[in-house]
Amino acid sequence: MSNMSKEVESFTDWLRDSAQVLHDNAAYLTELDSAIGDADHGANMDRGFGAVVAVLDETSFDTVDELLKKAGMTLVSKVGGASGPLYGTFFLRFGTALAGVKLTPAAIGEGLRAGVGGILARGKAEIGDKTMYDAWGPALDAYDTAVAGGGDLAAALTAAAEASAKGRDATVPLEARKGRASYLGERSVGHQDPGATSTTLLLESAARTLA
Amino acid sequence: MIGIVVVSHSHALATAAVGLASEMVADGNRPAIVVAAGLDETTFGTDAVAVSEAIAAADSADGVLVLLDLGSAVLSAELALEFIDSEVAQRVRLTSAPLVEGLIAAVVTASTGASLDAVAAEAERGLAGKQEHLGDGPAAEPVAAVESGQSLEVVVSNQHGLHARPAARLVGLVNTFDARVTVTDVDTDHGPVDAGSLSMVATLNAIRGHLLRFAAEGPEAEAALAAIQDLATENFGDDEPARFPARLGAAEGDHGGSGLDVAFGPAVLASGLVDVSGYVAGDNESARLEAAVEAVAEELRRLRDASPDLAGIFEAQLALLTDRQQLKEIREVLVRGASAVNVWQLVFDRLAERFEQLHDAYQRERAQDVRAVRDRVLRHLTGTTEDSPIEIEADQPAILVVPELDAATAAMLDGQRFAGVAVRAAGATGHGVIVARSRGIPLITGIGDVDVPAGAIVAFDNRKGSFEIEPDVEQVRATIAERVAEQEEAATEAELPAVTIDGRTVAVLVNVGTVQDALAVRGAEGSGLVRTELLFGGRRTAPTVAEQVEAFRAVAAALPGKPITIRTWDVGGDKPLPFLPLDHEDNPFLGERGLRAFRRRPELLRDQLEAVRQIAAEIPVHVMFPMVTTADEVAWALDELGPRPDGLKVGIMIEVPAAALRVATLTADLDFVSIGTNDLTQYVTATDRTNPAVAALADGLDPAVLQLVDHVVRNAGVPVGVCGDLASNPQAAVILAALGVHELSAIAPQVPLVKARLRQADLRLIDTAAVLAARDGDQVRALL
Repeated sequence: MSNMSKEVESFTDWLRDSAQVLHDNAAYLTELDSAIGDADHGANMDRGFGAVVAVLDETSFDTVDELLKKAGMTLVSKVGGASGPLYGTFFLRFGTALAGVKLTPAAIGEGLRAGVGGILARGKAEIGDKTMYDAWGPALDAYDTAVAGGGDLAAALTAAAEASAKGRDATVPLEARKGRASYLGERSVGHQDPGATSTTLLLESAARTLA
Repeated sequence: MIGIVVVSHSHALATAAVGLASEMVADGNRPAIVVAAGLDETTFGTDAVAVSEAIAAADSADGVLVLLDLGSAVLSAELALEFIDSEVAQRVRLTSAPLVEGLIAAVVTASTGASLDAVAAEAERGLAGKQEHLGDGPAAEPVAAVESGQSLEVVVSNQHGLHARPAARLVGLVNTFDARVTVTDVDTDHGPVDAGSLSMVATLNAIRGHLLRFAAEGPEAEAALAAIQDLATENFGDDEPARFPARLGAAEGDHGGSGLDVAFGPAVLASGLVDVSGYVAGDNESARLEAAVEAVAEELRRLRDASPDLAGIFEAQLALLTDRQQLKEIREVLVRGASAVNVWQLVFDRLAERFEQLHDAYQRERAQDVRAVRDRVLRHLTGTTEDSPIEIEADQPAILVVPELDAATAAMLDGQRFAGVAVRAAGATGHGVIVARSRGIPLITGIGDVDVPAGAIVAFDNRKGSFEIEPDVEQVRATIAERVAEQEEAATEAELPAVTIDGRTVAVLVNVGTVQDALAVRGAEGSGLVRTELLFGGRRTAPTVAEQVEAFRAVAAALPGKPITIRTWDVGGDKPLPFLPLDHEDNPFLGERGLRAFRRRPELLRDQLEAVRQIAAEIPVHVMFPMVTTADEVAWALDELGPRPDGLKVGIMIEVPAAALRVATLTADLDFVSIGTNDLTQYVTATDRTNPAVAALADGLDPAVLQLVDHVVRNAGVPVGVCGDLASNPQAAVILAALGVHELSAIAPQVPLVKARLRQADLRLIDTAAVLAARDGDQVRALL
């Protein structure tokens, strides 16, 4: 039981740290979104994760899966934009996948994949569509490769965060094919995708806090 | 009955869409419609949890149809299905139907008890009517004609044809019978279409006067046709709302705009003075005044909120009314026993005087606001809350006779009570006159000091320039009937191009002072004049580039795909701009007007040109500079404009006789010129059109003016337009076309009439040589 609460504690740290990072980067994310979207991604993520922190302040959780599912539901209700159902679904499915399992690096990797599966089911994106999946896809692969090579959670999350950052940077020359940015067509070229950017912030935060 | 859920980013959008759709069916038949929109009432966003709750609230055994806007609305709605009971989720349908049109179709169809499949199919076809009208959609699917059944023919008698609401009544009725009913518009040979489908009935576009043929088969076919007959007799349930001017027959269009130019009724004289002779001061004058001020403030707030275009005027009046320092001083006098009426009048008279002595033209005009506020409060104090000093017969709209017409009075004039306005002062371009015209209120100016007995029947005809006391009412009625008929015909054909009998096509555009003008107009082929100084006239500070782009975008959106001609700030003379204070001039009409006002201070013009360049990238835009006299001025203006974006056409206004005479030297680098006939007339005839003593000399049809128009057409080397009042006068429009003018820009209510008159004209029959050689304007009119 004490182990469990230590895990709850580190996942709580991750959510709080992510909220802080998203808050600090809200203006930056909104600026990215204003170039190719409706200029609300930073404000939406800040509002959503701010609400998650408020929940963390009020509620204590026995298990990681309850914690993540509650975070997911909060994001679904509070973010407002498309990233609400997307990140919300991610945390809901991530949480569901972790219910009752031992939190080994491999299990967490499967959980992440389940969460990202939810993002794909929701958003129907593919690699190269200039979406957050351009960061998630390479991150999952890098994570699995690290775990298969015997790496611990810290190594796997670090590898995932680095791959995510590369994926994020690779969105710059792409033409958007999903979401509001796709209305811009060619004019979306040359801008970094805000969703891939916030994904990278979340994974970098995970690498700092979860291991 | 199925339930309906509306998911949108915006709470206001969803609520408004539901309001619009709910109007279509009676309370008792309406399906449950639940909104899940916005994170709260003002924050845009969607919430999957809220959507799932909305579905639960709207759920019924027959199922739930979910209409959505875009992006996260779709994602959140899909996610919501994961949150609800899987048994409920089975009977929920998310539809890609257009939100507004789909919702209306869904609500109407659902109200008849149709199945989820049927309602969803109707919602998905929601665009069919619009696509059919605009001709940009897939062809409507043909319906098998009812062959063996019975049929019925009825004529559409509704003012606006079988539009959405009456169509919904028809569809609702048809679906209550066990019968298959089709309908055909015999006049257009559209159909047969399913009379039980709102979207299909909408594709008929059946307008007033069209013959509809209904055919029905099935067990209740006969009953269905009988019910349709009854519904048709009562205009398909349309209450014909009384429109302005109620007495003169309903005006076409929902935005006012009678264009009749003729009216009669008992004269109501407004001297501008409130009769305060019967007022007796009481014990608590302070409280009385406070109540009156509060009542007036409430009125002004209501007026401000009701007319965004004019909000600035009422905001300014509110500020005058509720000036704390002033109210405090007045109260201090009142507690010493003075009469509220006397003190209020004295204070505001003094204030008006102070404004009138100011050099700045805009500030001087504020005296009118001071007097308006003074009088509104005095009326409340004396209990004469009517806008006019005498009682009016309840069922006879009157003619308001006023010395001057300010914009506020024009905006507030009760269209039910007044058939028209006769203004003693001359001048067709004051703000009050422009507001009245844009509301379509029949109006005549310059009747002078003629002695009008209060209550006497008076009539005027602005086209003839006549004002009569105790006229032959039957004859006036006949004229009105003629104009109404002419107008209905013109409105029906408003969208047709203006091609004369001899085959000349004349472009007819609209003058725009407010976005409302652009929204209200029918048949305009763009805007030939966007009066930017009016678009931002209520503001104390200059609009930013972005605000101007936004305003131009709004005008353009009202005239989709058509060019708009932005006239740069036209200030000075009788058009003050609050954010460009001008020095006092002894002869303002001969001073720093129009483009001239910016030679010394080009900053405001530069901002405006930046806005023009930006909007030119999005929509077809022309820009023109007012009050140009010399080629140097043209060169300077073009230099300020800088490199022209592709497609931006540049022109000047021809208002100065010198510019008209040497137009050939001005147009080398221009794409068009537009003649401002009002100013050209006053400069050519050396007549102040606002001075009643001489205003009659300022006749736009004076052959001297027409000779200059002719000269400009022959020598400009570029297309020539006319955007002055002359272009709004159907009779004059024909002469202008005969002289070779390519483009006319008229006020919104006149556009269909000008086009109709041009279509009836054979320009070969107009002896232009005789027109140009005529002795005066009257002789020109006699020649037609």
